[in-house]
Amino acid sequence: MPLVEIEDLRVSFSQYGGQIDAVRGISFSVNEGESLGIVGESGSGKSVSCSALLRLLPATATVSAKSIKLDGIDVMRAGKEDLARLRGRSAAMIFQDPMTAFDPVFSIGHQIAETIMSHRKVGKREALAEAEQLLLRVEIKNARDILQYYPHQLSGGMLQRAMIAMALSCRPKVLIADEPTTALDVTIQAQILQLIKKVQAEFGMALIMITHDLGVIAETVDRVLVMYGGEVMEEGPVQQIFDAPQHAYTKALLASLNASFEPSRGDDSATAPALELRGLAKAYRIKRRKGIFNSYSDFHAVRPVDIVLPRNRIVGLVGESGSGKTTTGMMAMRLTDPTAGQILVDGTDISRLGPDALKSFRRRMQIVFQDSYSALDPMMTLTQIIAEPLHIHGVGTAREQTENALAWLERVGLPRSFGNRYAHELSGGQRQRVAIARALILGPTVLVADEPTSALDVTVKAQIIGLLKELQAEMGLSILFISHDLSTVKSLTDSVVVMHRGRVVEEAATARIFSDPQHPYTRALLDAIPATNPRDKRERTFLAAEQLEAATPRYTVIQTGLAPNATPRLITIAPGHRVEAIVTT
Amino acid sequence: MIGYILRRLVSVAVTFIIVSLIIFFMMHAIPGGPFDANDMPVSQAVRDKMMANLGLDQPLWVQYTRYMWGVLHFDFGVPYQSPGETVTQLLSRAWVPSLVLGGLGVLIGAPLGILLGMAAALNRNTWIDYLASTVATLGLTIPVFVTSMLLILVFAVWLNWLPASGWGKPERWILPITAYALIPLATYARYTRSAMLDTLNKQFVTVLRAKGLSERRIVFQHVLRNSAIPLVTVFLPMFIGTATGSIFVEAMFRVPGLGAYFVSSIEGRDYPLEMALMLMITFMYCIAYLLSDIVYALINPRIRVGGEP
Repeated sequence: MPLVEIEDLRVSFSQYGGQIDAVRGISFSVNEGESLGIVGESGSGKSVSCSALLRLLPATATVSAKSIKLDGIDVMRAGKEDLARLRGRSAAMIFQDPMTAFDPVFSIGHQIAETIMSHRKVGKREALAEAEQLLLRVEIKNARDILQYYPHQLSGGMLQRAMIAMALSCRPKVLIADEPTTALDVTIQAQILQLIKKVQAEFGMALIMITHDLGVIAETVDRVLVMYGGEVMEEGPVQQIFDAPQHAYTKALLASLNASFEPSRGDDSATAPALELRGLAKAYRIKRRKGIFNSYSDFHAVRPVDIVLPRNRIVGLVGESGSGKTTTGMMAMRLTDPTAGQILVDGTDISRLGPDALKSFRRRMQIVFQDSYSALDPMMTLTQIIAEPLHIHGVGTAREQTENALAWLERVGLPRSFGNRYAHELSGGQRQRVAIARALILGPTVLVADEPTSALDVTVKAQIIGLLKELQAEMGLSILFISHDLSTVKSLTDSVVVMHRGRVVEEAATARIFSDPQHPYTRALLDAIPATNPRDKRERTFLAAEQLEAATPRYTVIQTGLAPNATPRLITIAPGHRVEAIVTT
Repeated sequence: MIGYILRRLVSVAVTFIIVSLIIFFMMHAIPGGPFDANDMPVSQAVRDKMMANLGLDQPLWVQYTRYMWGVLHFDFGVPYQSPGETVTQLLSRAWVPSLVLGGLGVLIGAPLGILLGMAAALNRNTWIDYLASTVATLGLTIPVFVTSMLLILVFAVWLNWLPASGWGKPERWILPITAYALIPLATYARYTRSAMLDTLNKQFVTVLRAKGLSERRIVFQHVLRNSAIPLVTVFLPMFIGTATGSIFVEAMFRVPGLGAYFVSSIEGRDYPLEMALMLMITFMYCIAYLLSDIVYALINPRIRVGGEP
């Protein structure tokens, strides 16, 4: 008998203005020890189905099914005691954002111990000892200390490990992982996925992996369920889904995973670069309280960086959260004031210009943000939003501005009739199109794109990238593309700048970075990219921060023709290829 | 933590001085004085003599320094309107009814309000929620002198169960305290409801359910503790702020409390009494905010433990 058996599950939510059918009659089963992946975009009903399995849906949801069985219990009719057994002991769940998944006012140890004590009759001391053992099992080294920590004191990766430890605490028969790595950096994602596979084998659990990322699927599961619009599109062994997809939607998903674009044709060094950052740095003052007095120290978000954006090219700026890539982009736009350095736009330094002098430069440089929802004024119509830059810079009459905005709406692939709508009426992809139209309506030469696709579904992401690429070629734009998503960077950019802890550690043409990375951090980043086919999945070894430091590349004076230096700095090892390294005699 | 409290104490002292300055000079900026001709028909020489006796002929800053020096020694002067006693004696006499009224009102109203808010949040969009919200909205929107009159009309005039006004015997306390308790009840109910709903919608509550914790444990241990954090900053100042009672309730039920003196001291330019009353309120609010900040830091690990370990 299968461990999980769902037959003809239907879930609908009652909302203002009627019913929304989130899940429309899906069936699947999971056997003991098996790994099932459920893949689909947001709104496909993948998370809702699994929440229904543990009766975690809000009161606004109506659930009906021929049968939902978990571990031999009829979930729909489960009483209080059965439910307590189902949750935690039969099935345990881990969630997308570990930062919000823990109660902020209790320590990690308390929260794990509390889970143990609610399922078994043990004392607090024993439960804490067991929690420590669990933390060790999920490869947290200083487990005893971590027990005392509060959630806000730990990083996302650590918290997700602790979350896994908590899920394991009652030896569940099935582990449900709901987008467990979506909120994490690439390198951390690879570690967490590997950890989940490891504990699954050690504890002999079944696994349900819910994700929008086919790479995660390829890395972790045996069997796949593809969902779209609340229905199952396709089901089968993972290799078969990747090699011989049957359904059109699955094919579209795979196509967007392997999307690639022509590299842009820039005018080589003949003219000055569109944008050049020279020694640009940002330090924040940190206030520390010592008794009655304050002491100050500097936090260097960005150490002096040099980045060149050639005309009509796309340069990728990659790194994990906290690497300083977004701050660099914001400084380049003069949206954050740099502590030091120059910003050269067409050869003019704009880093010290006042608001009036800056205004004419603002026309030439625009930005698109990650979160399109908060980037668009909810009280303005799309026409008003897109036409606003024209209004600010006094371009054309009101009628011309509106006409221009409507034309741009079409140009980014939206019908003119959308002009009177508001941002909340659009999907994420459509909103990002509006944001792009607003950024480009002034005809800028430089566009900073700060993670413009990372909040979007895979298929939509490919469309937005396609649109950006097309407009770049038409308008001769120079784009600084900030992203943590290396597969997008690989398919879109001409060259890549890798940032780590506020420094540039490597820079080279895209093809070269991906084929011949020199810095250990670049290698770690590339190694962490999930496989695009289950055949390519592999065991990975991860380097700690100190190991990365120790593995800084070394070159000799003879190799580089440079003076020796003992502290790492950026050196040129080939035309266009710079890497942070030590030069020895 | 101790450094934090010390720093806050210094800022309390500074606030207190600034507020006292503002009150003192505003008080004297009101035209007229305590012994104006139409109140006290005496000759100019007598009036000058009285002013000199009370030190009112001195420059304002001298008067201010003298008064504040007295305050440092717990000497708040003698009220002009009843020179037979000191301000301290007057306050300790009149404050008792106000304290009983305000204190009991909050002690009864606050827990009821919190319970009502909790019941509403846990039974969202049911009749309990609607009832609680209705009570809270009415309590906040209807002025207290209207509810007082309604209470008198129903319980004293129509039903004739309770005396309409006065103080002294406990049965005379019931109506004013009820009228007063409605204010904290309504406020606390509203705040508690929204704070609880906020917490209940957090992701970690779903995680707690998925762990298999009982609903009771989730609500009473996790949700309550998390909801209490934002509430502390609202509740404590309100709690202490009520210790002065209510001018309106006291007037409606003829309670011999502090309320009347707030009005009469300003009207009669009774500077020592007016100043003492204002300083008392300032002091209590300063302490209330200090306490609420300390409690906030104590129950919130994000402040108590700080960031990186």
